[in-house]
Amino acid sequence: MTALNRALNFTLNGRAVSTQAEPATLLIDLLRSSLGLTGTHQGCDTTQCGCCTVLLDGDSVKSCSLLAVQAAGRSVTTVEGLASLGRPADGSLHPVQEAFSACHGLQCGFCTPGMMMAATCLLQKNTQPTDADIEQALEGNLCRCTGYVHIVDAVKQAAAAMNGGAR
Amino acid sequence: MSAAPQAQRYGSGAVVRRIEDRTLVRGEGNFTDDVTLPGQTWLAFLRSDRAHARILSIDADAARATPGVLAVLTGAELVAAGVKPMPVALPFKRPGGGALTTPPRRALAHEVVRFVGEAVVAVVAESREAARAAAAAVWVDYEDLPAVAGIEQAVAPGAAAVWPEVTDNLAAEAQHGNAAATEAAFAAAAHRVKLHIVNQRLAPVTMEPRSVLAFMDRDRLTLRLSSQMPTAVRGGVADAIPGRTLDNVRVVVGDVGGGFGMKSGVYPEDIVLGYAALQLGRPVKWQAERVEEFTSAVHGRGQVADAELALDAAGKVLALRVRTFAGVGAYPSNTSIIIPLLIGPWVSTSIYDIQTIHLKMTAVLTHNASTGAYRGAGRPEAIYIIERLLDAAAREMGMDGAELRRRNMIRPEQMPYTNPMAQVYDCGQFEKLMDQGLALADWVGFEARRAASKARGRLRGRGIATFLEWTGGNALTETVTINVTGDGYVDVTCATMPMGQGIATSYVQLAHDTFGVPPERIRILMGDTDRANGFGSAGSRSLFTAGGAVKVASDKTVDEGKQLAARALEAPAADIEYRAGRFSVAGTDLGIGLFELAARQSGSHFTVSADATAGAPSWPNACHIAEVEVDPDTGDVQVVAYASVNDIGRVVSPLIVKGQVEGGAVQGIGQALCEKVSYDPETAQMVSASFMDYALPRVDGFRAFKTQFDQSVPCLTNVLGSKGVGELGTIGATPAVVNAVVDALASAGQGRAAEQVQMPLTSEVVWRALRGQYAARSF
Repeated sequence: MTALNRALNFTLNGRAVSTQAEPATLLIDLLRSSLGLTGTHQGCDTTQCGCCTVLLDGDSVKSCSLLAVQAAGRSVTTVEGLASLGRPADGSLHPVQEAFSACHGLQCGFCTPGMMMAATCLLQKNTQPTDADIEQALEGNLCRCTGYVHIVDAVKQAAAAMNGGAR
Repeated sequence: MSAAPQAQRYGSGAVVRRIEDRTLVRGEGNFTDDVTLPGQTWLAFLRSDRAHARILSIDADAARATPGVLAVLTGAELVAAGVKPMPVALPFKRPGGGALTTPPRRALAHEVVRFVGEAVVAVVAESREAARAAAAAVWVDYEDLPAVAGIEQAVAPGAAAVWPEVTDNLAAEAQHGNAAATEAAFAAAAHRVKLHIVNQRLAPVTMEPRSVLAFMDRDRLTLRLSSQMPTAVRGGVADAIPGRTLDNVRVVVGDVGGGFGMKSGVYPEDIVLGYAALQLGRPVKWQAERVEEFTSAVHGRGQVADAELALDAAGKVLALRVRTFAGVGAYPSNTSIIIPLLIGPWVSTSIYDIQTIHLKMTAVLTHNASTGAYRGAGRPEAIYIIERLLDAAAREMGMDGAELRRRNMIRPEQMPYTNPMAQVYDCGQFEKLMDQGLALADWVGFEARRAASKARGRLRGRGIATFLEWTGGNALTETVTINVTGDGYVDVTCATMPMGQGIATSYVQLAHDTFGVPPERIRILMGDTDRANGFGSAGSRSLFTAGGAVKVASDKTVDEGKQLAARALEAPAADIEYRAGRFSVAGTDLGIGLFELAARQSGSHFTVSADATAGAPSWPNACHIAEVEVDPDTGDVQVVAYASVNDIGRVVSPLIVKGQVEGGAVQGIGQALCEKVSYDPETAQMVSASFMDYALPRVDGFRAFKTQFDQSVPCLTNVLGSKGVGELGTIGATPAVVNAVVDALASAGQGRAAEQVQMPLTSEVVWRALRGQYAARSF
């Protein structure tokens, strides 16, 4: 067991974080263990399920395939920071969270944080996604409960809400 | 007429936001692995990398020397400590009459390993990394033994025995019906069809892997884990570990990231975790890696059948004959065996008026992981068989598949109807449901769509499944306790389990019907064996059993409240009315709030318990119609339309049941098109143990569902009038989609030869079928 902890500074959910991580620590483990943010889930060992998806400088990445130290100097957003992402932290839900609930886009909720982060990444770059765009954006996220039907509905509703809010 | 009461703001029948969502969309769920306790240690398993071998020795010196390692546990140590195997007790016999016999299912393998993934050694350490590293450092010296990789190998002459007491690997057998009468019916039949049908092994795949956190709470062993059946886990752990009883074992369950039957009952790992926490006196956690889930969690299906149907000249079914082998793995549980031997047979004749059957079902030991409950559990296999047979018969007779089904459906006036397995259907209007399904799917307009597909170079096919299923697990009584508190809550405690299906929301809706208080004031308390015990949530039972008890207990609570209000208001109880959180004296402005009334009671609350017993299982039924397009160049199959009309009786939560049917259907489509647990036929090594090798449906699969519910036929045997919904979509989708692909292949020139295709209908299977190449039957 090495204990070569490295100082690690990055922005997490809009706040500066100064912590330490071993070189081999994965970002997901840093988030879930040291930082206590358990909303990001681990569902596989092979970077296939997408339950651990977070935003890194606005791009959706699987936090199980990123070393914690790779987040140095960058901005990480987890599901815990979604409600205040680019909006006031007034306790209200982000339009994506709102839409997932309204459209029954989640059942057990285990894949949901990763699914929502992938959807948020899409909607920040493409305000009017087609079905094909949504399929491409969520292709790396597995869900066993919903059959994806209501998830796609939710992404469309969130897009509409975000466009409406911008007008 | 619908039995549903007037929909209130959050009442039953209303489209509502689920109460579960509030925390889950914020990432504030409470899954087992989200909880960390002070002083927590980690456990990792070393699992067998071979299918059948004798353990000659285990060298754990290096593991013990690994920094941070606290304990290394082996099967021998557990046996020496008196840890008992998990019992299998069923009245089935082996062929020839001997008692059912299976190898002892131990928490850790002892002397012999019998499937790839069987836990052999457990290592506990200060960190997960140390535990995993130390487990990898354990050296097990094995003597390899011949392995049987599946049913085909297990029943072959001279096959290696999984268990020496069962030299032919046939653990148990059941026969149902009348062999002679069936034979006579076949002899007299105008038409006979026969199919070889493989229901491949499936991995249930909950997105949340199993996770267990075991710790001592003073002298009580507490297991926090992801389970559908906390009470069964408590019983299993108390039974296995010496000195543990139901009194000093507690099981607590938080959020469950999917169940699908896979998280029902006790697992060997639960016992190891409990034992380790007892030995160390510190919290011990294990979270399964995905590879452990694929190799050691239960699998579903895994049946091979030869199935035959006899019909008269008009298409009336005269008899059904099925010979099934079920590969139940090396260590079957009661569940592994009862699913193929009894539960499937219960629905083998489905919604059709067939009284002459002969079913012979054999449970076969194999060097595989155990089978167990997976969404449908026996009904998907049985319904797939009858629906495939009916399509084959229709093709044989040149008849429309819907028309052939119509001629055989049980009619409403035959209700209650007793099927040849002595199962009694209380109600069902199957023909009416099918007619709605045919209209929804535009059945008569199909040829135009087929022509349009053809113009685009695609082969279009259409498949139908009309069916019912048995729900309730034959555990039909539930007790619910309602506590009205002075600080303003209606707390509803019960022993069923949320696992993503949204059952808490449905209970809130039912309680809201009676209490009329805002839904935020109603709390549903589940998942703690110190609070409530029962069967748990499985078999699509929760709503119509415990939901019924929620209604009964709510009504009884209001009645009790009226008595208390009468005293508080000094008025006759008969004059007390209740509405929306307030008791009042009829015709006056005198009244008292529900919660104020509770505050005035001793202890500032009042509590009422009630139970409800459903009189029988419920029999949800449906008509599912799928259309597919096949790319003749690649064999790729796309489901392009899917219409379903579902009779689940009274609907409490409309959005939730839509999610159940459609999400369930995608699981059924997964079996039809892409999913398969594969073991290497020579080595019995699993070759589908990751998401890269086991093909789960993804987002680009399909979503053009048309889903309807007919609420006009409420269940007659429970207080709600509801029927189970959790498994319906999964059961219907597999035959509907496969029938559609077979139709596409048959119409493309393959004719009845297309009926040889076996699931999953991957591009390769379909591409080959289009060229007349079919896999040889396995035995």
